[in-house]
Amino acid sequence: MLKKIAIGSILIFFMTPCLQDTYGRVYIDIDSPSLPKFPIAITDFYCPVDREGHSIWFPDQLGKFLKLTGYFQVIDKKAFLDTGTGGIRFADWTAIGAESLVKGAVRNEGNILSSDFHLFDVTQGKSLVFKRYTGTARDKRAMVMRFASEIMLALTGEAGVFDTRIAFAGKKGKNSEIFTINFDGTDLTRLTNYRALSILPHWSPDGRRISFTSYKRGNPDLFVIEARGGPDHLLSNESGLNLCGPWSSDGRSLLVTLSRDGNEELYVFNQLNGKKYRLTNDTSIDVSPCWSPDGTKVAFVSNRSGSPQIYVMDANGYNVKRITYEGNYNTSPRWSPKGDKIVFEGMRGGNFQILTMNPEGGQLTQLTGSGRNDSPSWSPDGRYIAFVSTTGGKSRLCIMNSNGSNFRIIHSGMDKYMYPNWSPHLNF
Amino acid sequence: MRKRSLLFIFFALILSFSLAFSVGCAKKAAVKEGEEKQLSPEKKAEAEQAAKEQAVKEAEKKDAEAAAAIAGFDYIYFDFDKYNVKPEARETLKKLANYLNANPAAGVRVEGNADERGTAEYNLALGERRAQSAAKYLMGLGIAKKRISTISYGEERPVDPGHTEEAWAKNRNAHFVLTGK
Repeated sequence: MLKKIAIGSILIFFMTPCLQDTYGRVYIDIDSPSLPKFPIAITDFYCPVDREGHSIWFPDQLGKFLKLTGYFQVIDKKAFLDTGTGGIRFADWTAIGAESLVKGAVRNEGNILSSDFHLFDVTQGKSLVFKRYTGTARDKRAMVMRFASEIMLALTGEAGVFDTRIAFAGKKGKNSEIFTINFDGTDLTRLTNYRALSILPHWSPDGRRISFTSYKRGNPDLFVIEARGGPDHLLSNESGLNLCGPWSSDGRSLLVTLSRDGNEELYVFNQLNGKKYRLTNDTSIDVSPCWSPDGTKVAFVSNRSGSPQIYVMDANGYNVKRITYEGNYNTSPRWSPKGDKIVFEGMRGGNFQILTMNPEGGQLTQLTGSGRNDSPSWSPDGRYIAFVSTTGGKSRLCIMNSNGSNFRIIHSGMDKYMYPNWSPHLNF
Repeated sequence: MRKRSLLFIFFALILSFSLAFSVGCAKKAAVKEGEEKQLSPEKKAEAEQAAKEQAVKEAEKKDAEAAAAIAGFDYIYFDFDKYNVKPEARETLKKLANYLNANPAAGVRVEGNADERGTAEYNLALGERRAQSAAKYLMGLGIAKKRISTISYGEERPVDPGHTEEAWAKNRNAHFVLTGK
């Protein structure tokens, strides 16, 4: 039996690329409105010489990643019936309610660390994915993360967001710096150290650069910096506001808000030739622009009706239409990656809450209900929303599933979190 | 790897600086026959730090003097989500304009601020509008445009860090800071 599985594993290993197209069955339908959590069991990994505790660390870390997605119930080890090292008794796993099972092994040979991960469908008693990763001990987190992505791909049809980070402005006293952090809250990295106000970070579509606005030279100017750190470059220092908005999907242009003409107007700023193409021409405030994913439309905030409301126009500035009518303060629109929704924050019951609507303003859905919740940003797969949640005067960087479930705190402890911006896939 | 090479450059710089410094001093010492004391790098750093602190203190003193000169007419206040100059603010702006007319060398920076209740990015725009409204009013009172600059800090520089109506009212302002003296 063991031998059979071992031979099967090797075959699957080589076959994996084409296997992915033949899954056919979607085990977890993410778009289903009420989603029961998918029960998965992860056994301790086989590790003959285990000085570093890998046999426990690998399954624990994998379980943490899967729980973060909000889609899995990781079954407590104490419930396991099948604790043997022999062949898999699938009935023992279905008996405790598991639908999937992960087994694995870790080998340490000198500096080389290699790990095997094997995902099974226990109801059908078959193997779904086998992967072997080879590297050093420093790569172990990446190995677990990669297999978590494989599990997501096999069970939901999409690879998840394990290889993403969230950029934000973190405030301390009067000043704020630009930070990035893994979507699971690990590896906080400070990108700036200007001791000035630095705000509005936006990832480039290739994930290699981050543009932002900073007061480091006095005026709120526009800069860009490598996402891994390094010197910044000045992009725009018009008099007045140079507020950073999102990048175009080709990475050439940025949507910006400038007040050089005496009032705030929206522009497309072409980074290649430095030209700024004006989109709005209105004496009221126009701010917070974002593109639809196909680049044909721009959503933005304007107070031209007397209060801040969300508008949509063609990408050339024509055909302006107001889309929010409920509530007297609706701001920070962000178009979903699939294009079917716009997330924003609106004043509801005296506090800001996060809502979604379709691009025509219909199907209004309130996602949050307690405290103050603002500054939403979509994950690249559109399944999660990063935002800032404030209760009892404490600001926290949070994420939730895009239907409002599974509220999780990613980071807390800074004076104030501002402008979270979710990266594209970084393939790390 | 990157860190290590940065560290290396850092030490290389320090080494070259200290070499240049000691050579320079040695020369001087030779010329002036030991009149000039050779400062150790620590002492030099201390002296530089002291000079910096002195400069900061002087700047602070100057700022305080400038603030005192227009105390009592250095803030005007706005209603929630509004940027029109209110009637009660006009008297303040007149006093400021009189001061600027009497002190033609002085300029003014108008800092627009908002309370925390709005959203941060919208508040940057709102603060900018408040600063612009105040600047336009001053121009209307005969102050030359080139003497006025504007900047918005949105909700990020509250006068009162509280979360009450009273605090918010104080934080919706245009703040005037004298410049160019």
